[in-house]
Amino acid sequence: MKQIPKYLPLVPVFAAYCVLFLIGENMEGMWQLMSMLLFYCALGQAFNVFLGMTGYVDFGYVAFLGVGTYGMALSITRLVQYEFLGVWIIVIGFGLAMVMSTLLSMAVGAVALRLRGAYFAIATIGVNEGFRFLIEGARIWNGSEGMIFTADLNKILGRDTAAALSTYWADVMVLVIAALAAFVTLVYMRSKIGYALTALREDEDAAKVMGINVTKFKIIAFITSACLAGLLGATAWALKTPYVFPPEVFEIHYTIEAIIIVMLGGAGTLLGPLVGGLVYGIAQYYLSIFLPGFQLLIFAPVILVIIVVFPEGIVGMLKARTRGSALERFIM
Amino acid sequence: MFFEQLGGNLIQGVVLGAVYGMATMGLSLIFGVLKVVNVGHGAFIMVGAFVTLFLFSSLGISPLFAVPVAFGVGMGLGLIFYYTTIRKLIKAPELATLLATFSIGVLLEELIKLIFGSEFRGYNWVVGKIDLGITVLPLSKLYAGIGSVLIAVLLFLWFKKTRAGSAVRSVVEDSEGAQVCGINVGGAYALSFALGIGLTVASGVLLTMFIPVGINPYMGGGYTLKAFVIAVLGGLASPYGAFFGGLIFGLIENGSYTLFAYIPGVEPFALTRFLSFVILLVILLIRPTGILRAK
Repeated sequence: MKQIPKYLPLVPVFAAYCVLFLIGENMEGMWQLMSMLLFYCALGQAFNVFLGMTGYVDFGYVAFLGVGTYGMALSITRLVQYEFLGVWIIVIGFGLAMVMSTLLSMAVGAVALRLRGAYFAIATIGVNEGFRFLIEGARIWNGSEGMIFTADLNKILGRDTAAALSTYWADVMVLVIAALAAFVTLVYMRSKIGYALTALREDEDAAKVMGINVTKFKIIAFITSACLAGLLGATAWALKTPYVFPPEVFEIHYTIEAIIIVMLGGAGTLLGPLVGGLVYGIAQYYLSIFLPGFQLLIFAPVILVIIVVFPEGIVGMLKARTRGSALERFIM
Repeated sequence: MFFEQLGGNLIQGVVLGAVYGMATMGLSLIFGVLKVVNVGHGAFIMVGAFVTLFLFSSLGISPLFAVPVAFGVGMGLGLIFYYTTIRKLIKAPELATLLATFSIGVLLEELIKLIFGSEFRGYNWVVGKIDLGITVLPLSKLYAGIGSVLIAVLLFLWFKKTRAGSAVRSVVEDSEGAQVCGINVGGAYALSFALGIGLTVASGVLLTMFIPVGINPYMGGGYTLKAFVIAVLGGLASPYGAFFGGLIFGLIENGSYTLFAYIPGVEPFALTRFLSFVILLVILLIRPTGILRAK
C-alpha cells in the first residue's frame, strides 16, 4: 500500500514527456521543436541531480556532455572495421560514453568535492576549457580537426537506418534519458542519499557533525549527474549530428542553458527541470525566429531576477501554493 | 639559442605577469571583503577592452587615458550591480552569488555584443619599442606593466593611509566589531565591490596591449580562468597575493610555452592553457589557501 504513492510525483513528469512525444509524432512539422524541448528537459533533469540536490554549482558541466560525445564518436570510428559487431557498436558507444564521463567526474570530483562552495565552483570553471585544450594541444583524437563519422555510421547501419537514427531514434533516446534522469532523481530523493543531501544543502557542518559522510554523497550525485550528461552527449550530439569538434562540444553556452533551465523551474525539485526546459525551450525557439541572437540577453536578467526575488523557481512557488491540497502529492 | 629564447620569453612574462596580477586584484579584493566569488570577472575585463577600443578608434584618445575612464565605468557598474543584486544576496547561500555574478557576466557579454557585434577587433597604438638584446619589447606593453605596478602601489597606499581603506580592512577583520565601532559596513561592502570592479575594468585596458586583434565580447572566459588560477596562487582573499601570483603565472605561462614549442606534434598555445587548468587543480588539492601564504 505504501509503495504506490511513493512514485506518484513521476506521473506528471512522464505524462508531460508522453504528450511531447505524441505532439511531435502526430503534428506535422512539430518534431524538430519537440526534440529541442526534450533535449533541454533532459539537460535540466541531469544537471538538477547535482546542482539541485547538493546546492553546488558546476560551471564546467558541459565537459561531461563533451566526453560523452567523444565516447560515442570513438566507438563508431574505431570499431567500424569490425563489421560483425553491427548495431552493438552503438551500444558499446553508450557504454564508453558513460565510462568516460564517469572517469572524468571522478577525477574532477576527487579534487573539487573535497572543497567547499566557492572553491568548488572555482575548481570546476575550467574543466570544459581545460579538457578542450588538452584534446587540441596534445592532438588527442584528431585534435582540433575533430571527427566526422557520417560515412562510418552509414557503413554500420546502412544509409536508411542511419538517417532514421539521426532524425528520429536519437530524439527518442533523449526522451528515454530524460525519463531516466527524472526517475533517478526521485529514487535519490526518496532514499538515504536524498535526505543526506538535503541535510548537507541546508548546513554542511551540521550534517558532518551528525555523522553524514558528506563527501561520499556529493560524489554519488556528481557522478550520477555526469553519467547522465555523458549519455545525453552521446545521443543528442554524436548520434543526431555525426561529427564532433572540440570547440563546439565544450562550449560553456550549454552550461549557461542548464543553469537557466534548472533555476527557472526550481532547483532541487523533480518537476522543475521539466517546467524550466519547456519554458526555456519554447522561448528560445520563438526568440530565435523573431529576435535571433537575443536569447541570452533576455534570459540573463531574467535569471538575475529569479535569484534575487524568488530563488525557489516556478515549481518551488507551485509547491508552496498547492500545499495541503490534493495536488500536493503530484508536485515535488 | 634555447636559453636566449627562454630568457626573452621570461622577460615578456614578467611584464605580462604584472598586468595579470593587477587584473586579478579586483577579484581578490571582492572575495576578501564580501566573500563573493565574481564568476563574471572576465566579462568586466572585456568591458575594459571595449572602453579602450571605443575611446581609441572613435575618439582618438590614447589607451593610457582610457585607464581612468575605464576605472570610472567599472566603479559605476560595480555600484549598480551591488545595489541591485549583490547586496540582497550577501546573506543568501553561496549558490546565489555564484549564479548571480555568472549571470551578470553573461548579461554584459550580450550587451556588448548587441552594441559592438561579435567579430574580433583590435586597434593599433604605435609608440615604438625597445631592444633588450634577447627580445624586443613594445613600449605599449612596458607602459602596461609599469601602469599595473603603479596601480598596485596606489591600492596598497589607499588601504594603509586613508580612512576608507582602514574601514574596509576593519570590516575584513571583524565585520560585527567594525559595526559596533560605528563603521558603515554596508558602505564598505559597496565601496569594495565598486573598487574591485573598477580595478578589473581598468585592467582590461592594460590587457589590450597584449592582444593586437583579440577584442571580442566572449574574450573574458579565458581571463576568468586565468584570474582564478592567479587568485588561488596568491591565497584568493589577498589583493597583494594576487599581484605576486600574477607575476608567477606570467612566468609559468611564457616559460612553459617555450618548452612546449620544442615538443613535436603538439600545439603549444593550447597546452599552456591546459597547464593553467592543471595548476589550478593541483594548488586546490595541495594548498587551497594559496602557496604564497607563509604559515
